[in-house]
Amino acid sequence: MARIQLEGVTRRYDRTTAINKLSLDVMDNEFFVLFGPAGAGKTTTLKCIAGSEFPQEGLVKIDGKIVNLVEPSDRNVSMVFENYALYPHLSVYDNIAFPLRSKLYRKSEAEIKAAIDKIAKLMRIDMLYERKPSQLSNGQRQRVAIGRCLVRTPNVFLMDEPLAHLDAKLKHTMRTELKEMQSAFNTTTIYVTHDYMEAMSLADRIAVLDKGEIRQLGTAKEMYYTPASEFVAKLFGEPEINILPGSYSVEDGQGWVSLLDGVRYPVPADVAAALADAPSRELDVGLRGNDIAFSFEKADGWIPGTVYANEPIGNKVIMTVSVAGNHLRLVAPNDTQARMDSTVYIQPNYNNALYFDRASEKFITRHDIEGVLSYHHGSKGKGGNA
Amino acid sequence: MAILKLNNVYKRYDNASGSPFKKKVKNDFAVNNLSFECRDGEFLGILGPSGCGKSTTLRMIAGLEQITDGDIYIGDVRINNLLPKDRNIGLAFEDYALYPPLKIYDNLAFNLRAKHVPEAEIRESVERIAKLMKVDDLLDMKPLALSGGQKQRVNIARALVRKPGLLLLDEPLSHLDGKMRQQLRYEIKRMHHEIQCTTIIVTHDQMEAMSLADRIAIMDMGKLQQIGTPLEVYDDPVNVFVAGFIGEPPMNLMTSVIHRVDGGFVFTFEGSDLRIPVPVRYNEIVSDGMKVTLGVRPVDVLIARDDEPSGTPIPVAIYEDLGDERRISVRVGENLMNLTTADAIYYERGDLVSLKFNAEKTHLFDINTGERIRAPKK
Amino acid sequence: MSQTTDFKKAQSAASQRKSLQRLGFIGRNLALICFATFALFPIIWMITCTFKSDAEMYNTVFRFTPTLNNYKEVLVGTDYFKAFFQNLIVAGGAVLVTMIAGVPAAYGLARYNFKNKEDIAFQILSFKFAPEILVILPVFLIFQKIGLYDTYFGLIWVYQLITMPLVIWVVRGYFEDISVEIEQAAQLDGYRWYEIFLKVLLPLVKPGLVASGLLAFIYAWNSFTFPLILSGFKIQTITITSLRYIASDSVHYGQVAVAATVAIIPEIIACLFIQKHLVRGLSFGAVKG
Repeated sequence: MARIQLEGVTRRYDRTTAINKLSLDVMDNEFFVLFGPAGAGKTTTLKCIAGSEFPQEGLVKIDGKIVNLVEPSDRNVSMVFENYALYPHLSVYDNIAFPLRSKLYRKSEAEIKAAIDKIAKLMRIDMLYERKPSQLSNGQRQRVAIGRCLVRTPNVFLMDEPLAHLDAKLKHTMRTELKEMQSAFNTTTIYVTHDYMEAMSLADRIAVLDKGEIRQLGTAKEMYYTPASEFVAKLFGEPEINILPGSYSVEDGQGWVSLLDGVRYPVPADVAAALADAPSRELDVGLRGNDIAFSFEKADGWIPGTVYANEPIGNKVIMTVSVAGNHLRLVAPNDTQARMDSTVYIQPNYNNALYFDRASEKFITRHDIEGVLSYHHGSKGKGGNA
Repeated sequence: MAILKLNNVYKRYDNASGSPFKKKVKNDFAVNNLSFECRDGEFLGILGPSGCGKSTTLRMIAGLEQITDGDIYIGDVRINNLLPKDRNIGLAFEDYALYPPLKIYDNLAFNLRAKHVPEAEIRESVERIAKLMKVDDLLDMKPLALSGGQKQRVNIARALVRKPGLLLLDEPLSHLDGKMRQQLRYEIKRMHHEIQCTTIIVTHDQMEAMSLADRIAIMDMGKLQQIGTPLEVYDDPVNVFVAGFIGEPPMNLMTSVIHRVDGGFVFTFEGSDLRIPVPVRYNEIVSDGMKVTLGVRPVDVLIARDDEPSGTPIPVAIYEDLGDERRISVRVGENLMNLTTADAIYYERGDLVSLKFNAEKTHLFDINTGERIRAPKK
Repeated sequence: MSQTTDFKKAQSAASQRKSLQRLGFIGRNLALICFATFALFPIIWMITCTFKSDAEMYNTVFRFTPTLNNYKEVLVGTDYFKAFFQNLIVAGGAVLVTMIAGVPAAYGLARYNFKNKEDIAFQILSFKFAPEILVILPVFLIFQKIGLYDTYFGLIWVYQLITMPLVIWVVRGYFEDISVEIEQAAQLDGYRWYEIFLKVLLPLVKPGLVASGLLAFIYAWNSFTFPLILSGFKIQTITITSLRYIASDSVHYGQVAVAATVAIIPEIIACLFIQKHLVRGLSFGAVKG
């Protein structure tokens, strides 16, 4: 249990800067997710906390104590490595027992047995004790690696893409298992991933990292409903958010947004107020796939387009609609049959539109920010966006 | 354009290392009595886990692998003994296999030049296909300078340039990252729509097969399990394997004992108090004490309103808000039962929910064979 | 057409192929036997020589009257075994020193990035390039000056020229194969660097240590030029001892053969014992692959 702080941490390699003046403050007992694309500096950040990387600038603090010069073995952290880093010459049991047999964290063999039995049952690897890592499937290796991490009670758990190499089904199961175990951890956890579902599901708070810098820090809801930039908006949600160029104008005191070659709609007062203060009238409007309704019948005021592609993916269909040279991807029910190039009419739910500045791609506003971010914004039985 | 037909095709690999004097270990058939037909212009997906025989099937069609028994026809021609080059097949390998020293243009023209097609004609068809696969601005580059997605486009374009009767794609998206994969997925779909070439895609990713193919052949252990449109295999799986393999998040598959209660039947689960009503359409075929595998997709597990008949209230084990949708899991004995919904609902761990199943989408499977138990048609 | 007839057809085709396979199997093994004979012939020839008298030595037929005289001449009442043990000390010592100095050096070259790293590694390898005969005279003069001539230490030291590059280059490859994350994991698990080295790294490079150690031992055991020039009175190695049976007027090939035959015994024993450790791929499966 500990608070982890990074203050202006920079880690450079020969020419590239992996992390650049990064500051973080992870609370005691918090489940903190570092999220970002490949090469964002997520793993380097973890290793700076673990002590296996040495930052050129800045301070790493564990519980307020500066640990820059403390050996990794004395920091009392435990880590899941992306490539598992199991000890190949040791059996599964000995792998998990390894930390408990070191001079620092030494326990009696009986205690070790009890601890391992408990964790192995949780990770469902209790029938694999005698195997060597080379005799395990990737999924099992990953679970052994997580088991070795969880068997101790360190200051902080560091998890580097622990689910990345599992197939989709196992990933889903392990994510929910981790989520369920989470309350039992009772320890600060820093978790690295590039999968937005893992990030949203597990995190108390998320830091979106890109090119060694934090792009946004906040809760999963904030990331999804009020992303700080188009970059962040594109990272959350499947299919990727549609970004359309648009512009803002005011007529008779009413604010209007126009986009898609001649589509115009009035915006609510809170949006209008923010857009009026925006640096420019040139906007990018973000519309998520499940905020766009469609119909094959001509409907009044709906936007005509053509079906560019239609992809059933099981419980839903992702339809790509071509409107005035833009491709919009929207979510349709799973029994939708759409011939390519046929005409379709769409109607976005503009209440959920996100507005970005065109030049800087920074977030400006959206409708009802407090409403969507409030903790209980949904309630039991309330209908959704359909 | 062509019709592809497989009749009772078998493939068995011989023991490569074993001595013939020792008693031979009987290999299972890598492909076991496989028959299907791929219609003219159809986009067919062959889907299955690794080792299910799908790649072997593709390689047999392409002529890279001997057929142990059975016949393969393209149109009316039996192609069992034709050399790969005579089968008029375009094959795009998983790992691109572009010729590194050649420019993209020359890579695309390579096959046509080998056939001594006049250069003007080559130029014409290379440019047409390059435009279709959106690689027309890369023609002067070398493969090394291309991104993974671009390489795969070139790779597919190269297979298309020779105007194949049949286009085979072997895991074309598996080396690409998420965004690129999504993008190329609908480009491939678009390409197929435009040239209407009979196409077979082999993949282990059910999402890929579902989104691309007109029909999907699902294989496991060398055998064809089911062939049908994406919607058919999703909504109407013939056995537990298909049910579990298709769909993300995966279908809830749970062992359940059916009990008779007043006014009907309920599903009960080992180690759990949960009782959920059995849909009435099954009333004729279920009996008290019957053990089945119950299959219901997370989207078909519903939270019941107060006034509806529903199951025993059960505490929420996990609540996940994923932005696009929300997922809720409850503990049923050892297993987790998941439900997903696009509705904006919120629960905390431990809150009680009453569940019901979407009656039309509740499937029963034989506990031993895994075969589907269907309700009698009305 | 029913499924079973199809199945039978498949089976009959398979049985036809079976006889072909059997032929191939016989051919393959015949070829292997031929090669084994070819490879082992010098040893077989040497062993037959030990049982021949000098007179029969030049017969090329395999018919002769076996005699143990050669063994008696060489082994009974001579200092052959003294040379044998001295050889063991020199060769074993050389391997030991190589390991103690070479393994950390290999680790350093594998793990750390420093200036001119590859140059240094190549420099070490290049010690092996020079023929022994080229360096032996200067070394002889130096050894005489500093008093290392005809000592254990001198021989052990000079053997490093050849054994060290071998061990460093082989073991370095093994260290490079170990993911650095495994060491980091052990650090986080609360182990000191020397514990990590002993408990994690050494078991993983063991196959490389064994292989290169064995090769180094074989080299040192068989070395001829160095002990010929750099020792001779107090310290005799077995290779030098064998020379004694070649006089200016007559050559006792039978006795030379006995000396050589006994000399290869430790090498064969070492090889047999160590064979099972020569498995590669122990490190597979530790990290994602």
